[in-house]
Amino acid sequence: MPKIIHYRSKCIGCGVCYEQQPECWRMSKKDGKATLLRSVNKKGVFMIEITGAAMLKSSDVAKACPVNIIKIV
Amino acid sequence: MKQRTVEILAPVGSFESLQAAFNAGADSVYFGVEQLNMRSRSANAFAVTDMKRIVAACRKHQCKAYLTLNTVMYEHDMQLLRSILKEAKKQGVDAVIAADFSVIEYCRQLQIPLHISTQANISNIESVQFFSRFADVVVLARELTLKQVANIIGEIKRKKIKGPSGELVKVELFVHGALCMAVSGKCYISLHQQNASANRGACVQNCRRSYIVKDTESGEELKIDNEYIMSPKDLCTIDILDQVISTGVSVLKIEGRPKGPEYVQTVTRCYREAADAVALGNFTQEKAAAWKAEMEKVYNRGFWEGYYLGRKTGEWVTQPGSAATEKKIYIGKGSRYYPRKKVGEFLVESGTLQVGDTLLVTGPACGMVKEQVEKLYVNGEEAEKAVKGDKITFLFATRVTPNDKLYKVVNAVHA
Ligand code: SF4
Repeated sequence: MPKIIHYRSKCIGCGVCYEQQPECWRMSKKDGKATLLRSVNKKGVFMIEITGAAMLKSSDVAKACPVNIIKIV
Repeated sequence: MKQRTVEILAPVGSFESLQAAFNAGADSVYFGVEQLNMRSRSANAFAVTDMKRIVAACRKHQCKAYLTLNTVMYEHDMQLLRSILKEAKKQGVDAVIAADFSVIEYCRQLQIPLHISTQANISNIESVQFFSRFADVVVLARELTLKQVANIIGEIKRKKIKGPSGELVKVELFVHGALCMAVSGKCYISLHQQNASANRGACVQNCRRSYIVKDTESGEELKIDNEYIMSPKDLCTIDILDQVISTGVSVLKIEGRPKGPEYVQTVTRCYREAADAVALGNFTQEKAAAWKAEMEKVYNRGFWEGYYLGRKTGEWVTQPGSAATEKKIYIGKGSRYYPRKKVGEFLVESGTLQVGDTLLVTGPACGMVKEQVEKLYVNGEEAEKAVKGDKITFLFATRVTPNDKLYKVVNAVHA
């Protein structure tokens, strides 16, 4: 299954991911950064498995992140 | 010694640069934390928790600490903003540099002194009057001429425009560093092309690249002599610093938080010396030329004096990246120090080092130290040359710590 990986510490909180894919992202009120919903945290790197159908949209979001911290593998 | 006429304000993006700013005699420093500042893209930003250490170090060196919080702010940033400002208040940060009204409002509530950022593009006396309700210092737009600056300062005095502290509003000007091709804070190229908003500190600097101009109808390319049509050279006012100071400006600000400690120390020291020379009445063009040559050694895109002299067209760079005349090559890291003999020990991790080479050591405790090696010991024996894997020692006046990095300085060759 493909995965979204979010290197959260480098997030600048621009909100693009949330705007484009609200089903996967929230802007944290606590620290202003994006949070990848339902993801698992491995030492500050957040991961979630996605369906093939969600892949296209997620890739667009990854491309749109200004600091390139969203990866699709 | 710290009783001076103009304040020199240095950029700080790391603990190395902070010490470098102290070494150079800065009166104040500015820094950003987390992502809410115009340099959020640069790798090693400070965290909220670093504020305590920064402010404590500044106190020790009688230097003021200003916190930059000047991005566009969104709803989801408010809580982070509040917690940053609470911590700033607790640690006693001397002022916050802001442009967004949310920051201005919170600072007012928490009674934290405010400076209005250049991102607010203050260009006339009415704006100064408006912001004087909140701020004691305003950074004027970088696009004004010195005459306009002098007029604004004259009007502040004439109209007795005072800030919340009850004193006349002070004016701060950028005197050195990168310029934006647009009026500061009004550029959207990075946002449009790469979705990376410059106003969230994520500018990818598309303007710094070379471009071609093409007629889409005929497909023909226009011939232009310089392909870097959007990348201005760096601002450098050292040779007109007497004129800058005579406008009545109170604070001279240096750009460059993402740049290294050698940049911070060299540039801050040059402006410190130049400002002191102006105060003593012995500022000369010869001295200015020497300072400029010194600053050409560190990161720069070539210099011009910006818009201050009323030039209609800018000066554009002719090459990518830095035009610095020197560059540093990583050699290794510090290991220990023998204070009695004043000997420093380093481990060579890459490249080679020879007697006669100029060394640069950077670290949070020393800032930046530049020295020539006169005698070199490799693994305890006197030697001419050291290579990767060697443990080297030499006379070094400054304490060495394992956090120090050792570089070799070489002349940079430009095409
Ligand atoms: S797009 Fe990237 S930088 Fe922007 S909020 Fe999302 S993860 Fe953070």
